[in-house]
Amino acid sequence: MGVEREIEIKTRNMGVTFKDNEDNDVQALTNVNLEIYKGEFIALLGPSGCGKTTLLRCVADLQKPTEGDVHIQGMTPKEVRLQQKFGFVFQQPVLFDWRTVKKNVELPMEIMGYSKGERSDRADEMLEMVGLKDFANHYPKQLSGGMQQRANIARAFGLDPDILLMDEPFSALDEFTKEKLHEDLLRIWRATNKTILFVTHNIQEGVFLSDRICVLSPHPGRLSAIVDVDLDRPRALEVKESAHFNELVAKVRNSFEGGSV
Amino acid sequence: MKKIKAITGTKWFSSFLWIVLLIIAWEVGAMVVAATKRTPENILPHLYQIIAAAFSGKKVTGDMTAVQAVLSSAGLTLIRALLGFIIGAVIGFLFALLMKMSGMVEKILFPYLMLIQLIPVLGIAPIILAITGDINISRVIIAAILSFYPVAANTLAGFKSVEQEKYDLMFIYAAKRRSLYTKVLIPASLPYLFTGFKIAAPMAVTASILVDTLQGDGGLGCLLSQSLKHAMSIHVFWLIVFFSAFLGIVISKVIGLIEVGIAPWRRRV
Repeated sequence: MGVEREIEIKTRNMGVTFKDNEDNDVQALTNVNLEIYKGEFIALLGPSGCGKTTLLRCVADLQKPTEGDVHIQGMTPKEVRLQQKFGFVFQQPVLFDWRTVKKNVELPMEIMGYSKGERSDRADEMLEMVGLKDFANHYPKQLSGGMQQRANIARAFGLDPDILLMDEPFSALDEFTKEKLHEDLLRIWRATNKTILFVTHNIQEGVFLSDRICVLSPHPGRLSAIVDVDLDRPRALEVKESAHFNELVAKVRNSFEGGSV
Repeated sequence: MKKIKAITGTKWFSSFLWIVLLIIAWEVGAMVVAATKRTPENILPHLYQIIAAAFSGKKVTGDMTAVQAVLSSAGLTLIRALLGFIIGAVIGFLFALLMKMSGMVEKILFPYLMLIQLIPVLGIAPIILAITGDINISRVIIAAILSFYPVAANTLAGFKSVEQEKYDLMFIYAAKRRSLYTKVLIPASLPYLFTGFKIAAPMAVTASILVDTLQGDGGLGCLLSQSLKHAMSIHVFWLIVFFSAFLGIVISKVIGLIEVGIAPWRRRV
């Protein structure tokens, strides 16, 4: 870092308003101005109802902002999506039961029209990367929750997307599995240099993983602070015991508007 | 003691227990009926009498023994049922697909499809016979009508079982509508489709047997009414009942095997 940094994602006065059941306007997000650099690891952090997932969905073109706009590499989210530059990891693994792990990883490549050999080679490479090489021919139901989420991550990286969007991908996993996957994700991210937007409600997770934390506050959902995480990379789990890590956690916690949450 | 538990815990043991209990109940029933001395054979003969009838060389119709008559009639019944089942299943699947592709089509069609299911077979059969003027075509059409609805309804439920995240994922990968159907919706609906098959197939056989009773021209139903009306033998009647039940079991097992062949991920893991 430090050299000329290219902006990958830019939101301008972005807001989302929707109608609730009684036809009242509800502001899910308001006035979000954000610039994300290429290759950056960004955490979107906040309590439930703060609009962090809505923000992610707007970037992914799954939802349209009702105010302002989003630009990615100078294009609209739709244009970027149609060029298949997104990878998306949901909280649930969203694997297809009728496909083996390897065939699940190949699915986006099938849609994009990769040749059979190319798909197979690339899927093998991805499965090796997430440590699932020996489970390539298993069906998803035969895997543990952690392994399913690994397969999901392998699939998201398979298309070599520019931008990886992750919506609380590890929140359903136990602490040990989660820590292992954190380390793996950082390793893969360093090797592939993707821009990652990572939604979480866990402060420690956000601090450990990201370069910058976008803190969102609810009612109405808004960007209330951006905290730089200046911990050295590569990061090992031990960093969580350092004083500076804990200072950063405290700083993030204090930056929620409306006091403690 | 452990050994006894291991044996009594198996699936085979419970099936065996059921069969033994059924045989006992049957035989007790047959004895009670026999004690009333009111042409008991016409109601509930002893099991050994039925088995003896199956293996006796006595000709029951023209030049066929009981077993030959039952098997040849069953063949006719099965072919008609199968033909009707295939036609009904294909149309049912296509309707489900159509309803999935267009919400409007679903709103217009779905409530009325159920009406078809509500009309009793025996009510609709003479009408279809009158329209087509051919008993064989009527059998196939009625088997198709009965097969159609369970397949359509179950397949549609299968399409609807696909979670929003899967649609979102396909959307993010900019998948075409065609890929959404071939790679997600249709494979996801397969287990439901097979449930539909398992309901529809025995219904097609039932329909085929019922329509047989309307008019001659072979089939299990024909033989059934002959065995009741004419003094053929009550044993033949029971032979047909047992054989029909056996057919139903075999058909659902065959469908189960086909399902495992087509959908290996459904195997127990």
